[in-house]
Amino acid sequence: MTSSDLDFLAVHGLAVRKAGGPPTVADLLGTDEQSVSDAFDRATEAGRMIGARGTFMCTPAGQAWLAEQYPVLYADARANGQLTEAYERFERVNTDLLALFTDWQTVPTAGGSVVNDHSDADYDHGIIDRLGALHEKAERVVGRCAEAESRLTRYLERLASAYDRVLAGETDYVSGVRIDSYHTVWFELHEDLLRMLGRTRQE
Amino acid sequence: MTNTGVTLTEARVVILDGTVLPSRELIGGKAWSVARMMSLGLRVPPAFVLPVSECRSYLDAGRSLDDEVWDAVQAGVANLEQRSGRRFGDPAAPLLVSVRSGAAVSMPGMMDTVLNLGITDEIELALAALTGDPAYASDTHARFLHQFGDIVLKADLDSYSAGVSAEAMRALVLADTGSDVPRAPLDQLRGAISAVFDSWDSSRAKAYRRHWGIADAGGTAVTIQMMVFGNLGEESGTGVLFSRNPLSGDRAPYGEWLPGGQGDDVVGGTHAVQDMITLQNAMPAVHHELMEWASTLEREHGEVQDIEFTLERGQLFLLQTRSAKRSPQAAVRIAVDLVDEGVIGIDEAVTRVTPEQIRSVMMPRLDPQHIDQHRVASGEPACPGVASGIGVVDPDEAERRAAEGESIVLVRPTTSPNDVHGMIAAVAVVTDLGGSTSHAAVVTRALGRPSVVGVGDGVAESLAGRLLTVDGASGHVYEGQMPLLETRVDDDPHLSRFAAWVAERSPLTVVESVPPDAQVLDLDRLGLGVGTESAAPTREQLITALRGAAVARGSLLSTAEGVAAAIEAGVSTIVAKPVLPVQLLAVRHAVAGAS
Repeated sequence: MTSSDLDFLAVHGLAVRKAGGPPTVADLLGTDEQSVSDAFDRATEAGRMIGARGTFMCTPAGQAWLAEQYPVLYADARANGQLTEAYERFERVNTDLLALFTDWQTVPTAGGSVVNDHSDADYDHGIIDRLGALHEKAERVVGRCAEAESRLTRYLERLASAYDRVLAGETDYVSGVRIDSYHTVWFELHEDLLRMLGRTRQE
Repeated sequence: MTNTGVTLTEARVVILDGTVLPSRELIGGKAWSVARMMSLGLRVPPAFVLPVSECRSYLDAGRSLDDEVWDAVQAGVANLEQRSGRRFGDPAAPLLVSVRSGAAVSMPGMMDTVLNLGITDEIELALAALTGDPAYASDTHARFLHQFGDIVLKADLDSYSAGVSAEAMRALVLADTGSDVPRAPLDQLRGAISAVFDSWDSSRAKAYRRHWGIADAGGTAVTIQMMVFGNLGEESGTGVLFSRNPLSGDRAPYGEWLPGGQGDDVVGGTHAVQDMITLQNAMPAVHHELMEWASTLEREHGEVQDIEFTLERGQLFLLQTRSAKRSPQAAVRIAVDLVDEGVIGIDEAVTRVTPEQIRSVMMPRLDPQHIDQHRVASGEPACPGVASGIGVVDPDEAERRAAEGESIVLVRPTTSPNDVHGMIAAVAVVTDLGGSTSHAAVVTRALGRPSVVGVGDGVAESLAGRLLTVDGASGHVYEGQMPLLETRVDDDPHLSRFAAWVAERSPLTVVESVPPDAQVLDLDRLGLGVGTESAAPTREQLITALRGAAVARGSLLSTAEGVAAAIEAGVSTIVAKPVLPVQLLAVRHAVAGAS
């Protein structure tokens, strides 16, 4: 990764995460923290982000700059039929995953639903089974996306790590919010792909 | 009835017909529950099982089914044929089966179910004639091919959607895997059994076992069961019955069924279902039998049952039963009623309701009177709870104003990961678009924020700047600060009896306010509280802090860890509001220590 790549990716990674510091963005990009920290310094200097006490956000100017960069830097990606096809597949897996997150949180019963208190191992295992099957689909589809943008494999590592924690009984790692749960990482990946491909979220 | 004789352990397959109840370790959880339902004298589709030991033999033989076990499987199929009057692969009277995995303990990562195995092109035509529904026959075939392709052949397919022909589905599987789904029913069966055994060694199953210290040397059983059809003309259908209402707790059984429906039609919610009264009117004898079964199953399990059934030409079949998921209100009522009915004892009843459920029951709720005229929006309820605050569209503004101490309701067209900080800062969330699986719904449920989604295009914008009360249980949004009613234990006869049982069993006293002249130790003031900057204190630290105190209070004393520490430190009284969830935590700690 060259430093000019990183000048772009650091701002992009921060935009995907919305707020954070060099460690979280380095983790998202799968690169080293020092290089990202240097890129943050240059981006702050250029007015593309602002930060205080280690937490940074993109400035409106930074967002506008990103919006100009995307169609240029990802022109090939956007014209790549295999990638856009993989993205359509990603959206279909996304629909299944959203339904899964809901089934994890609430259990349908008698025409209504109740909060899943995770007291029924059989029910939870059924959902974890589905998550495992969808994770395998995700591996294939993200693998195809990564042929065009290799850094996306970092998301697979993070998804695998969330899934592994779920298997170990850390129930928060399916759809928890303030942690790198499957849901958190998946949505960051979704946001990343939307930005790369110039799409908008359906919903 | 129970027979676990020597012959069983030597048998290569075990016929399940109600005369034997082999151990769960031998035949796995799924087959065991089939055998248990049969042993109660209930009509369950005939089945046989390859015991767990066969998985070992298969894997040790280099992933191959030996001739002897394959002969035994064919004998099992012959037994199903004889009991059902149908034949595997015969279009004139087709026998279709389901194939399921099942280890002694439930475990994710193994092969899922394959349904309708045994279907062929000829049988599809025969089913079309038999049911008078060619679309159904084609769908059944395509579903089987999808399931077999997905699960057995590991094809990379999208999730199933109706409308793809069997031929096209077969081609999709072939194109992706290079393997054709077997056309001969026995080949399908052999493939599915092998896939179940193979799945014991799948990386996902291994990862799960590694985390939980379960030996790889075990195995899974394979259950093969006859499929029954709810769409074979008159007096057929499929449905779900709850032995009592799991949402209200009402004693009357609650059910839904779909005449002429099959499989997941009812559960999937895609068809208009009918209530139990229509079943009673149409087929009183069947209705009576179903009610008898529900009562038998409930007594046997000591808990409300969620029962799946199918009616095939006037004959009722029990497919599955499990303890029903109950709403918090119903959990209390049912626990008390089951005691009154002599089904369970009081000690058991107090373990049937969780402290979280009690907290939920005791949450303040809106006064249903005098609020309708203040309603300004309605949508889909996404996360229950009531909260009031000022409507704000911009998540950054929501975060900033919340940090200044304002109560904010985030109102947005839709939400994305870029809005999560605003959702965390808000007391409630309302969105224009999206349903119960939208990003907003998933995130607010994870955060426990009341939310209403799908109030309609442009509505959120109109709510900005107004004081709102959001009811995430009903899906309504009101203008203004709506008054809340506190839930008092004494207002509800079931809750007050439950509370008395819990109080009697609590190893320490819990009171709402500090007793006069008491010396109170306040954990929060010592910096040992929930949500403080530092890491949560260990149990040892808590016990040390609490030792010697007779009366204690603090946010951590509403948690299981905190209550356990208080009991172990010899605290006699906790000050907390409401008291009941804390008492229940104390009872649970005592029960866990005793067992």
